Parts: sequence; structure tokens; C-alpha cells
Amino acid sequence: MPNKVRITLMVNGIERDTLVEPRTLLIDYLRDDLGLTGTHAGCEQGVCGACTVLVDDRATRSCLLFAVQLVGRSVRTVESLAANDGSLHPIQRAFNAKHGLQCGFCTPGMLMAATDLISRIPLPTEDDVRERMSGNLCRCTGYQNIIASVIEAGRLVSEASASAGALVKEEVPA
Amino acid sequence: MKPAPFDYVAANSVADALDQLARLGADAKILAGGQSLVRLMNSRHSTPGNLIDINGVTDLDRIALEDTDIVIGATTRQRTSETDALVTEHIPLFAAAGHHVAHLSVRERGTVVGSIAFADPSAELPVALLALEGTVLAASHSGERLIAAADFFIGPWQNALADEELAIEVRIPIQPRRRSGSAFLEVSRRHGELPICAVAAITTLDEAGSFAEVRIALGAVGDRPVRARSAEQKAVGLTPSAETYAALADSTARDLEPISNLHGSAPFRRHLAEVLTKRALTAAVADAQESSHA
Amino acid sequence: MTTTEDQTASSRASGESTSHKWIGKNLPRQEDPRFLAGRAKYIGDVTAPGMLQAAVLRSPHGHARIRSIDTSKAKALPGVVAVLTGEEAAAFVNPMPAFCAEPVEQYAIARGKVRFAGEAVAAVAATSRYIAEDACALIEVKYDLLPPVVDPLAAMQPGAPLVHESLDSNVVFHRSLDFGDVDGAFAGAAHVTRGQVRWNRMSAQPMETCGALASWDPFTKKMTLWSNSNFYNFLPWAFAGMLGVPTHQLRLIPCDVGGSFGSKHFLTKVMSIAGCLSKATGLPVKFMEDRTDNLSANDNVGCDRRYNAALALDSDGRFLGLDLKIIDDYGAYFQFAHGQHGNAMAQPTGPYQIDALRYDVSCVLTNKTQQGFFRGAGADPGNLILERLVDQAAAELKIDPAELRRRNFIRPEQFPYKIPTGNVYDSGSYMAVMDRALELADIDSWRAEQKRALAEGRYIGIGLASCQERSGYNASEWWFLYDNPPLGATSTPETIKMDVDAMGGVRVQIGSPLWGNSPETVVKQVVAEELGVEPTDVSVEYADSSSGAISAGPGGSRLTIMLAGATKGASKRIKEKMIRIAAHALEASPDDVEMIDATFRVKGSPGTELTMGEVGMRAHLFKNDLPDGEDSGLLENYTYDHPYATSPNADRTDMGVFYPMVSHGCHIPIVEVDPETGVVKVIKYYAVNDCGTLVNPKLVEGQLMGGIVQGIGAALMEEYSYGEDGTLASSTFREYLIPSMAEVPEIVIDHLQTPSPFTEYGIKGAGEGGRLIAPTALASAISDALAPLGVWINEIPMTPQRVVEAVSRAAAQSSAAQAPRSVSEQP
Repeated sequence: MPNKVRITLMVNGIERDTLVEPRTLLIDYLRDDLGLTGTHAGCEQGVCGACTVLVDDRATRSCLLFAVQLVGRSVRTVESLAANDGSLHPIQRAFNAKHGLQCGFCTPGMLMAATDLISRIPLPTEDDVRERMSGNLCRCTGYQNIIASVIEAGRLVSEASASAGALVKEEVPA
Repeated sequence: MKPAPFDYVAANSVADALDQLARLGADAKILAGGQSLVRLMNSRHSTPGNLIDINGVTDLDRIALEDTDIVIGATTRQRTSETDALVTEHIPLFAAAGHHVAHLSVRERGTVVGSIAFADPSAELPVALLALEGTVLAASHSGERLIAAADFFIGPWQNALADEELAIEVRIPIQPRRRSGSAFLEVSRRHGELPICAVAAITTLDEAGSFAEVRIALGAVGDRPVRARSAEQKAVGLTPSAETYAALADSTARDLEPISNLHGSAPFRRHLAEVLTKRALTAAVADAQESSHA
Repeated sequence: MTTTEDQTASSRASGESTSHKWIGKNLPRQEDPRFLAGRAKYIGDVTAPGMLQAAVLRSPHGHARIRSIDTSKAKALPGVVAVLTGEEAAAFVNPMPAFCAEPVEQYAIARGKVRFAGEAVAAVAATSRYIAEDACALIEVKYDLLPPVVDPLAAMQPGAPLVHESLDSNVVFHRSLDFGDVDGAFAGAAHVTRGQVRWNRMSAQPMETCGALASWDPFTKKMTLWSNSNFYNFLPWAFAGMLGVPTHQLRLIPCDVGGSFGSKHFLTKVMSIAGCLSKATGLPVKFMEDRTDNLSANDNVGCDRRYNAALALDSDGRFLGLDLKIIDDYGAYFQFAHGQHGNAMAQPTGPYQIDALRYDVSCVLTNKTQQGFFRGAGADPGNLILERLVDQAAAELKIDPAELRRRNFIRPEQFPYKIPTGNVYDSGSYMAVMDRALELADIDSWRAEQKRALAEGRYIGIGLASCQERSGYNASEWWFLYDNPPLGATSTPETIKMDVDAMGGVRVQIGSPLWGNSPETVVKQVVAEELGVEPTDVSVEYADSSSGAISAGPGGSRLTIMLAGATKGASKRIKEKMIRIAAHALEASPDDVEMIDATFRVKGSPGTELTMGEVGMRAHLFKNDLPDGEDSGLLENYTYDHPYATSPNADRTDMGVFYPMVSHGCHIPIVEVDPETGVVKVIKYYAVNDCGTLVNPKLVEGQLMGGIVQGIGAALMEEYSYGEDGTLASSTFREYLIPSMAEVPEIVIDHLQTPSPFTEYGIKGAGEGGRLIAPTALASAISDALAPLGVWINEIPMTPQRVVEAVSRAAAQSSAAQAPRSVSEQP
């Protein structure tokens, strides 16, 4: 049996120092070693996108990556989105407002893929969403409300950053 | 669905990777994007004893124009390649093929060279490489060698690399500009899935508007990507027309020995090869005629 | 053609829904936050101290005798705690529960022989799933291959190899029943349309697979079992029997469920495997299927049917009789018997007046994973055959398909309407639904577009399907095809426990799991409606089996109907008690006290008020201030039984009422087909549904859209693929294809609301309508697109290969006939 390897990486802003087998998939490291069960395994074949997390801010399938590959990298999971006081991130609020989830199993992957998308294209169109997120499968919603949620999320994120900017300006004495 | 045990080593340079390959040989696999390899390891269809991770070999992440070749390094991501100005400008067929590969999120991670080395008989990039008559630069302790695409794919998921060899880069001759055009077409069961038939066509016309050169490469219709050599030879000197395309497509399809699986039977793939060849030739000639007007 | 009556009925419906404060409102889904935050608790997220993980070794062969299994190397692997073969597991668990009358025994881990590719032959418990899979790879099984039984038609032949030697034929069940004068109807028909349909094997494939965590306590002899199954509060004794634990010693705990679509109705394999390993090790053991486990061996794949059918019509195009001859491939076991046909018999004649029906069904066993429940549950192929026959009859008689439907629809004044099988439809406005759909789709402009495209050599198709969605099943559908059923149950109850706490808050425990539907939102809306509180004043929890809350749970599109009924009933009783207590305090007669917006006051005497908190405190802690004979507390267990169900008669000429809340929809998809490549693109989808009163329109639309997209999968890509050797080729998501965003068009939805007279608020079910209708509507659309080429579609899924083959068959036929057939001569 190969030796375990010590890895250090940032997960949701916290430095983690863990011994893992080289074969430990990132998804199992997150779920089993760190107890971050928000990330879900749907197919373990890279098809469904349910396990999507952000690696250095880019949407990545955590079933096709070994934890040992993440040394020195930064990983973000769905657990990092909402604030500790329970207030939801604008992307999460958009999914609630547009009924973009039912069973919720694909949702964390959808949210992380949407986070990446909006960071690249702040106000995505329907075509943008279809191109960027067609690798994330959902069996409940029929997608239409997910697409609407992501478009709405772009709007809410832009509004939030605009009002944050406005707030900063107001605080600066004229 | 969990991988079997293996030892992992992260290479930090090409020399380091070659050392590891020399040491581990047949019991090692190169890990780049991992979008195909890790999938097969999860289902234990692949159980290498060692993985040599080359993602940290940053000098392999490059796209360059060298002489008349576009060079794409071993850790260059597919998405980087398909949107790169050199690629879209000089080898538009390769960019077009790239857009059909899996989903965008997979292409962000998957590498060009990895997909080619994986040698999936249905994958798009090997078809494009074959049509473009590109080469793979292989390196080992005993030196470097260039392997032509036609010699590189030797069977289903089998390439011509020796156990201790690393595919450093692919080199793809730039497409001619004058009176030349190309097209890449495929049919797949679902967006982002491997095609059940893919066709790449490059057509170059002479001054009279007849075919000076035609290249047709196909995927998902054999145990490896194939060229329609006989149809290509017949084409030279012919005048492009619907009848010509149909005849060449018919010739192309006849020469195939298609694979068969649940996504499409051999006769159906042969039929698709004919339909797509006809359409690809039509599109490539239109592209060529546009370029000669330009 | 007038539709006045329909419109009156439906506008009455929408009129009623506006009289409610909360019913009919788009309350944002209350369940969402924990799912959005990644804090939901699915079975995969549950752990227990000392827990082991299981993996299963599966047979690669479809049919083979197990000669020997050597587990010694696996047992020797560090980290492995137990390895059980089927023979060894039998020391810990019993055969799986089965609802069939025939001797078809089934174990979670095969004994003696394997009967489908993917059947478990050994299970391992280890300290991690990785090690458990390592151990599986070390188990050596020797098989003696038997001839695989793959083709059900061959399986029916005398002398075919037997899947079960306990039976003398692979035809495990056959029955032919006439309802009404079938022979007379066909003898007197002016026209008979005959057609076939092939519906291939599919399965639900929710994004979450099935799993169970069993924790056996060898000292108390109690077992605690977490899973994502339904029926833990309905048939706990069946799980208990399988696990060899008395029902009162078994605690079944539900989890958030990552989708089911029927496939998690009754999970026995995962529970049995986790259960036997926990008993063998004395430790908690979790078995979580991976995708290949689920695809190859889940308990509930969908129908796999061949129909030979005929529709008799009179000279005016009125339907007289329907003759359905069905061969259904059940796979290797018969766990749920022929329940899918009981289900289909709720609505075999669709929305039409058809007085005579012959239903002839053969259930055939083959070497495939077993049939169970998948959204539609057997009525889905029934819609396809009926609507294909109607379209075919329209083509043969040169009547516009919509017009032919109009002539035969059951009319609003005919409800409640008894169909030949005995089931009763509650209400409906079928013509109005179709007219609205035709209007919504702007059908004339699509016909013009179709013509324009055809001139360019492009094939656009416009589908039309008018189908039923039976909802709110009763248990009799499982067994009434038997004269002597093993379990002739007649109950499908839904129980809730509700209380008002001492501060006036409302707590509700429901007996059903969350499957991706919205039980918490439904309960909150109903409580808010009935008690005048805000939805935020209500909390909803999920009762486990120890609560004794008998609840059949989601399934058969029943849950909103049943939960609303139970919640309203409990609210009413608690409200009455609060009014009695308030009246006593206000020194008034209960008849004179009213409850408005969660406060109590004497009618006509403003000023004197009690809040729910004041009444709550009084009820909990001030016994001496309660009316005489009133118990402390405000706690109610309320069971809402099926609102209208009767038993079948003895000779089975009338199956009784078992599925009487009948929703309806008319769907019009627009497709473009490339006849050369066989690629079908859905370019737009219009759907008008009528599922009675909408509790929460946005959530209903979500159910509908999701079902429609599953229907797109059914129509175009989803299929189990068994080779002639019995091996399964479609064992991952790369082979079993479900639709992605890229295959889904814009879906345009509208609703009519014809209330059910049988249910609280007039609610009907809405969980299955999308998938019950979409495959049929899409088959119609593809057929319409390729009609100019002489193609008739009678099989799903229509993969590119099948489309191309159909086109080339039609071309061959037409050249054989020496003359292309015109569109109107189709098929």
C-alpha cells in the first residue's frame, strides 16, 4: 500500500494540513477528511458536474482530481458562499427567487459553476449559461429555472457590487 | 467507483519527468488534465502503479509559431488552445474541432496533448491532427523524435509512444491561406459527448477552381482516426460540385471498417460518414472559395 | 365547435383560488436555504461512530450459475472487516419483500445463480470505500454460464431457458380482461385503426444514487437504519421482515433525498446489504451505490413494453373500443408484481369517451435488472399507444387530429366520469385545455413556418398530445389484477402530527420524506391558510418510523393532495380546541368566537382579543382555566385517508375507484429533424396543464418542466442497452444519457384550474404530468416532421440511428410501392 502524503492547501480560506493516500479524490478529501459534505458525487466519471468546486477560482470537477494535486492551491466549496449569519450569497438568493432547485443535489455544483461564470461574464446571457454550464446535469428542474437563476444571479451580484461601491463612495468625505 | 492504489510523483521539469519515466516505465502513467485518465482510474479500467504529474512543468504550457508549425505544449489546456489567436488564425480546423470536445468546463482542465496521447478512436483532436498532418514530439533519455499523426495512433487507446517516452508537444503545420478551406463536423448523441462520427476536411483549390488537394479524416468510425486516402486521391483535379462531394463521400464511406456500440451501429456510422463527408467537403470548399475572394 | 362549458368550469376554478390568502400563492420555497448552503443531510452525508463502508461485487454475466466464490484474499486485506456471499448473508437477512403471488424469490446478494448483469454476488465492509473496492477486486468467482434470456419474445417461447426454475415459464403473469362489450364494439366499427408501439427500458437516474446506513445493536437487538427510501412510515414491517428484526425494534430514519422520480419508493437491496453487513460486524455500515451500482441494479427501472393495439371508430370518428395487447419485460424479478399495469388501468382510455376496453397483459421475466416505479409508473407508455392510435386514426380518416380529439373528449358535464375499468375521473376541461394550448403555441404560424422550412428541405414537426395524469393512487392498483392477492391492501393514508406550542408557534411533523418536492412549503401554506399565522410561524420536521405516523409518502402524484388534506384536518381540530379554550376565557360561547389572523375574539365585540400565544400558554400550563373535560396541550395526530377509493368487484369486471384525481395536459412540442443524420432538435415546447387548484404555481411549473425534460430524454436518448449475451453496456452516465441544458428548448407553460370535487381546496396531483405527456407529444412531433418522407414513429427513444433507419425503411417501402405516399395517407 503506497504511503500517505502530507498535503497543505487552503479550503474555504482555512489552511488545511492533512495526510492522504495519493489516490484520494478531491471530492472524498473534502467530504470525508474535512466533513464538507455540501459537494456531491453524482457519477464519478466527470459527466454530471455535481461535484464542481472552485480550484484557484475556476470551476473544476472534484471527482477527476486527486487531493495530492492541490498542494499550495486554493479550493472553494459551496459552504463558502453564504455568510455565517445565514444570509445567502446573491447567487444563492437568485436560485431561491427563480426556483432553480428541487432536490438540491446538483445545486452546489451549479452554484460553483455559476460563481465561476459570473466572475468571467458578470451579466451572462442565456447562451452564455448554456455554453458554460451544459456540463452540469440536473434531473429535477428541466434547467429553465436554473438558467433564469444564473441570469438573475449576475444581476444581483452586479447590483451588490455596485451598491458596495456606492457605499464606499458615500463613506469618503466629499 | 474509486481508483486502485498508486504512488504519485509531481515532476517539476521535463528532465525530472523523463527521469521518473525511465525509472517507472510501463507501470507509470502521465497525469496532465486527467479528464479521461482519472475517469478510467475511477472505474478501475486503468490501474497504473504510478502517476507522474506534469502539471507543474510550466514550460510545457505554451503555444507558439515556429517556422511553419504551430506548437502546442503538453500542459496547454484545450480551452486555451481553441481560443488562442495563433491557433484560430493559422490552424482554424484545430480550433473548430476543439469546440466540439466535451464541455467547456472539461476543456478548461483537459490538455490538447493529453487528448491526443489518449488516442480515443472517437475523440476530435486526433482527427484534426491527422487531417492537418501534425506530428507529436516524443522525448526520453535516449533523445527526441517526431512521430507523424498517421503513425502515432496505432489502435484503440493505443499510441506509438514507448513506455519511457513523454509527448512533449504537438506540432501542426499551418493551414494554407490561398484557395484553401476546412471544416469539422460531427454527430454526437448529446452535447459534449464523444461523436458517433466526426469528419475533418481540408480542401485546396487550384487556380481553375478544381481540387488541388483534399484531405479527409474521420473519427469514431474505426479503431483509430483514419484518413480517406482513396477518396483524397480521386479528388485531385475534380471540379467541386454536389455530385463530386457525393461521389467522394461514397468512396470515403465504402473504405471504412466502422466500430459499433450502443450509440451507433457500424452501418449507421458508415452512413453518417458519408453524410458528414459530403457536408464537410461542401463547407470546406465554401470556406476555400471565400478565402480566395478575400 | 364550442368550448363554452369548459371555459365556465375552468374560470370557476380560478375564481375560487383567489378567495384564499395563501393557497395559490408563489410562496418562495421554504426548503431551499439548507440546500443552497450545502447543509442538507443526504444519506451520503450521514455518519455514525465506528462506521464502515460497503462495496458490492457484481456479476458481469446476465445468467450464470455460481460455482464457487473465494473471498479469502479479500478477507485478508488490511481494513476489511467482513465479506459476505449470498449464502453467508442469508444467515443475517431474509429474502427481499415481494408483492407478487408467484414463487419468485429474491435476495439482495444472489444465491445459486445470477439473473442479471450487475446482480450482487458478494458484499464487503471495510474502513473505507476505497478498501472495500480493493477487496471486491480480490474476490474470485467461478461461474458456469447459462444461456442469457434477453429478448422477451424469445423468452415467452416454450422451451426457452428459465430465469426462475421455480416457474414453468418466463411468462410470470398473463391476464386478459374485457371491460364492456369489446367484441361488439369492434364488430360494429366503421373503421379500425391498428398500431404498434415499442417503449424501451429506461430508469429515473436521480442525481443522488440510493444508499442506506444500518446500525445493528447486538445487545438491544435494535436496528437503526437511515436511507433515502420512501415507505419507511408505510411498510416498515416489510423492511423489518427482510432485515430479520421485529418491526417495533427497527427505526427507519429518513434523509433529504436527492431526487427519486419513483425510483426510491421502496429500496430493499441497499438496506439489505447494509443490514447484513452491520449484523455481521456489529458496527454501523453504510452502503452507498455509485452510478454503476444504480444503473445496473437499482430496484426500480421503468417499463419495457411492446403494444399491439386497435382502436374501433364509428363513421363519425367516435371511439367505440380499445384493444390493448401488451408484452412487458419485467427483468429478472417480480418484486412489485404487475403494479405498473394496475397503474395504467387508471387511465387506459385517456381523456376520451371509450366504452369498451380489452386489456391483455403478459409480464415476462428476462435477465435484466427489475422493473419498478419511474415517474409515470406504467401509465406513461399507455399514453403513447393511445395518442399514437388517435393520430393514426386521424391520418387514416383524414380528420384533423385536434378535431378528432374534440369529437371524443369527455365533456365537463359528464363528470364524475366512470371509465371502463371502473376508475372514476373527478373533473376536467379537456377541450379548453387543448384550445388554450393551440392558442399558446400559435399553431397556425408554426404550420406556416413548417411549410416554409420544407421548401428549403428542412423538416420541422409539430406535435400534439392530450393526456391524462392520474393522481392520488390507492393501494388496490398493486394487486387487483390478481384474484387472490398476497396482500390486498386498501389504505394509502397520510398522517401528520401537529401542535401549537405554549407561545403560539406551530410545529408539524410529517411522515413523508423530501424527494425534491416541497412538503414543507405545502404544509406552511396550508397552516397559514387555516390558522391565519405567517408561514414563518410554522416549523416542519420529518418523522421517522418510530413516530407511528402511517404515511404512504410521495408517489403517484399524491403528496400535495394528501398533505394538504392532513394539514387542513389537523389545523381544523386544533383550531376548534383553541376556540373552545378562548371562548371559555372570554366567557363566551364557542359559537360566538371567531379566529382571524391568529387572534380570537367574540364576534361583534372588538377589543376583547386573545392571541394564539395566550391560548397556547393557557392550554399547556393552566389546566384549571380550561373548559371542563378539555385535556392539556394542543396536540393533534391527524390521518387523512384516501378521499375516494373503492374495492374491485369479485370477477374483476370493475376494478373500483383507485386513482380518481385526474389532471390533464395538452402539449405541443416543435422539433426539427435532420433525416440524414437522424438528429432531432427540440426547438420549442408549449404545455398547458390542468391539475386542479394550484397550491403554489411556481412549484407546480417546476415539477412540470422537470418532467417534460425527462420526457425529452425518454423520447430521444434514454435507454438501457443489453447485449445479446446479457451484458449491460449502459452502466455509466456516458452510456445512459440524460438531457443536458443543451438539449432543452424554451418551455412555455400555462395552466387551467378545474378543481377536484374530491379533495381539499380542489387540488389534483402534478408530479408526473410532464413525463406522462412529453414522450408522447415528442413522438407525435417527430412523426409530423418526417411525414413528408412517409415515416411513422412508433418507438422511443428515437435515437439518431432509429430516425435514419425509419427514414430508410420508409424510402424502401415507397420505392417498393412505386409511388411516394402523400402526407394525408399516413401512416
